Amino acid sequence: MKMANETAPIIRRNRPGTKNKDWCNWEDESFEEMDSTLAVQQFIQQAIRKDFTNVEEILNPPEGQDEGVWKYEHLRQFCMELNGLAVKLQVECNPETCTQMTATEQWIFLCAAHKTPKECPAIDYTRHTLDGAACLLNSNKYFPSRVSIKDSSVAKLGSVCRRVYRIFSHAYFHHRPLFDTYENETYLCRRFTQFVTKYNLMSKDNLIVPIMEDQQTLEGESEA
Amino acid sequence: MIEDGPGSQHGGQLGPGSGGLGMVTKSQQDDGIKQRPQYSMPGILHFLQTEWARFEMERSQWEVERAELQARIAFLQGERKGQENLKQDLVRRIKMLEYALKQERGKYHKLKYGTDLNPEDLKPPTFDKENKDDHIDGEISLSTSSGTGTATWRQGRQLLRQYLQEIGYTDTIIDVRSARVRSLLGLQTQSGDSDADISQSVLVNGDQPNKRDNQGKRAGLKKIGNLANDNALIDTENAVMTTFDFLNSGNVVEDEEDLSDDNEDGIAADDEAEERLERASMKLKGDNEGLTGLDETDADTEEALAEFHFLESEMGGSSEKHESSSGEDEEWVVDQRHISELKEQYKKERKGKKTRPTRHALQAMLASLGGEDDGFTAGVGDGQSLASSGEAREDDIPSGGQISYARKPMMGLQDDDENLDGGLVLGELAGLTVNNEADPVNYDISAPKEGYRKTWSAKYTLRSHFDGVRALAFHPVEPVLLTASEDHTLKLWNLQKTVPAKKAASLDVEPVYTFRAHVGPVLSLAMSPSGEQCYSGGMDTTIRCWNIPKSDIDPYDSFDPNVLSGTLEAHTDAVWGLSIHSSKNQLLSCSGDGTVRLWSPGIKSPLLNTFTVDSEEGVPTSVDFVRCDPNQIVASYTSSNTYIFDMETGAQVLMLETKINSDASGSNQINRVISHPTLPISITAHEDRHIRFFDNNTGKIIHSMVAHLDSVTSLAIDPNGLYLLSGSHDCSIRLWNLDSKTCVQEITSHRKKFEESIHDVAFHPQKPYIASAGADALAKVFV
Repeated sequence: MKMANETAPIIRRNRPGTKNKDWCNWEDESFEEMDSTLAVQQFIQQAIRKDFTNVEEILNPPEGQDEGVWKYEHLRQFCMELNGLAVKLQVECNPETCTQMTATEQWIFLCAAHKTPKECPAIDYTRHTLDGAACLLNSNKYFPSRVSIKDSSVAKLGSVCRRVYRIFSHAYFHHRPLFDTYENETYLCRRFTQFVTKYNLMSKDNLIVPIMEDQQTLEGESEA
Repeated sequence: MIEDGPGSQHGGQLGPGSGGLGMVTKSQQDDGIKQRPQYSMPGILHFLQTEWARFEMERSQWEVERAELQARIAFLQGERKGQENLKQDLVRRIKMLEYALKQERGKYHKLKYGTDLNPEDLKPPTFDKENKDDHIDGEISLSTSSGTGTATWRQGRQLLRQYLQEIGYTDTIIDVRSARVRSLLGLQTQSGDSDADISQSVLVNGDQPNKRDNQGKRAGLKKIGNLANDNALIDTENAVMTTFDFLNSGNVVEDEEDLSDDNEDGIAADDEAEERLERASMKLKGDNEGLTGLDETDADTEEALAEFHFLESEMGGSSEKHESSSGEDEEWVVDQRHISELKEQYKKERKGKKTRPTRHALQAMLASLGGEDDGFTAGVGDGQSLASSGEAREDDIPSGGQISYARKPMMGLQDDDENLDGGLVLGELAGLTVNNEADPVNYDISAPKEGYRKTWSAKYTLRSHFDGVRALAFHPVEPVLLTASEDHTLKLWNLQKTVPAKKAASLDVEPVYTFRAHVGPVLSLAMSPSGEQCYSGGMDTTIRCWNIPKSDIDPYDSFDPNVLSGTLEAHTDAVWGLSIHSSKNQLLSCSGDGTVRLWSPGIKSPLLNTFTVDSEEGVPTSVDFVRCDPNQIVASYTSSNTYIFDMETGAQVLMLETKINSDASGSNQINRVISHPTLPISITAHEDRHIRFFDNNTGKIIHSMVAHLDSVTSLAIDPNGLYLLSGSHDCSIRLWNLDSKTCVQEITSHRKKFEESIHDVAFHPQKPYIASAGADALAKVFV
């Protein structure tokens, strides 16, 4: 956004023709100055662009932020970024080899997108879960507004978290190289794990991807 | 939490693990209670925005209501005017009858006693003079007399009634009059009544002396004839027939009585009486030129009947004999017509109110299309002739339209013959012709465009994307559309599969398919003319080719890898624009790498050509095929220049003067360029809030307008090239009449994310749908 930087007031736009390196390449805007109704999303995305590895910072809400909205917007962002993982899985995870949605041998996950939950192949489970989450999180019934959310709707976030987490776990246990590549590009599983832990959206027992230790070692490496 | 129980079961987690959930919720609720009283800036903004939207809506509703009421007022005023005219006319008629009666009485007196008597009766010469005055400016004198007030009018009426009673025609006359009034008011004439009255009046007549009776009858006849004359011209043939019938029968009856009376009087034969009267009338003629018409007729009933026929023929327009009376007559006739026209016009206007603006717009558009480009062949030529004159337009009217026209011009011609107020009445008629409801039938192109006559309102809200929707495209036929979003996906929407929404006026639609392959935001989209394939360009530098699943697919069907049919790779930066040719299987793309590329998807080496410009021109922002030249493409650049390229050679053909005509500062890039579907015109959407129109042949600017409050991001043109849709970061979409370059409607549609609001707009190629894509992750469809 070289043009935006030339003019006195920064106009934060990705105009047609913008090169990849200039995408959203503008000065950070403080949360107080964001006067749009999508300020929370803007704030989160801004923090991710700034440094996607700084999970702590990304998950740190601005002062006075409504927690329901904060959680909601983060979950939207997770689902959106999970599309990237799904794209990768579409190439590798085919219904013949991964006939069921599994992580460890302990569980077979049934796809909740259907009237009667059924044993979808892993890739279908992934897609259906993401599509279902997109519908739920955009539902006019449960989430008519992105600035104030009913408590009853906030309660729905937990089940969405549990379901989408299985995508991480499947990728981790069955497509490890793919998962690692993706994780290094996005730090998404780390962020997600920390997110659900921080806001108690999932029980620790369900967090079966051993990512937090990983993270600690990685952080140790970077510091070293 | 109650719902979460089954939810977790459905999740199919076969084991423990959701034990802590109840506690979680409790803490959340506590949190929620703590948070509640705090007002956040976005919260307040949201509240204000919703309030404002509500106010806007109420205001527009109120405005609609106001417009309706105003129209109603106009109509009622028109009706009142019509009534006043009617009243005036009736007063005049009475005056005339009174006057004629006086004349008759004077004449009768003269015939009987050979002298001018009664001082109360005006003397014939005076009469004559008055008559002449009336002839010259009858309208004025009459209206002045009628203007003296209701008192005079009532007196006159009373007097007239008296006179009529003397000759025994009171009831009939009054009856005819009321019948006429009724017919004027569009009520049904009661034909039976007058017949009954006739026989009554005839019986009364029996007592009257013969000659007087005859003369009186003649006077009455004449007036009745005039009345009938008017009646015929107004519209109720019924009424005319009734009147005529009654007159005929009345005459016949009186015939017999006359004969018997004559016999009783001892006069030898009818012939003698006739001769005598004729002579007398000849004498009168000499004295009384102005009264020729009245004197013409005689006591003989045959002649009376003949005269009656003559009166009938007078309706045709020839008025040689009745100089005085017919002079007035014609004036009145015109007036009557005028009234009825007024009434009809108001009725029509009322009916045609909704469609009229469009019709005018179309007309004007056709006119200026003709004016803009003379060389532009058949269709425009038609337009010119259509707009140039009402007559020419009538020639072009297909059979359906003619019926309603037929009567008016005929009446117009009649007026011409009579040379009375012709211009004025024709003027009215011309107006009528223009406003005729049948008009739209003329324009085939207008047939599928009915949607534009009404205002567009949001009907479907497409929620499912997680981030800004960058592009959208309609299926060529079905009510189906595709959206491309920064959330890396494309989604397919079937507008016929809606989710019933609570209390909201708009329907929610859930996507039927999600296309995943792009790594990064999807920025551009194009739908093939068959509606079977689509192409999307993204920040990952690729163009993906998709086979679009059927619109009735189960959204949760199993994954089909064949939906992605191919990937076009050659660009090295974000693909920002795509355009598809309507008949050739060719695709244009423009990218942040500075190139525009032409593809033929599906063949082995799909890249056909690459178009480049000097690096100082920046990168292409948008590209389109020149729709009326199969060998040209048009591309706009961040430098705010626009070039037309030859598709075969890749050479620049022309530079449109977009840069010269835009603001000097460097920040004015072009965000979108589109080509008019039929005319050699390119339309550009600028960051400086302008929309500009350029001639593809000369490169010169045709028109420039400040179109929005913020940068214009997107343009779409309807398939017929009559309307333009623009989207802007000012959160609104606007619909423009391409001819008048005026805004037809503005709709506030999306909210801002950073400084972005609306990324794309689209017209459905066939159905009355328009759509907008927003940075707020929503797409909206308007009907």
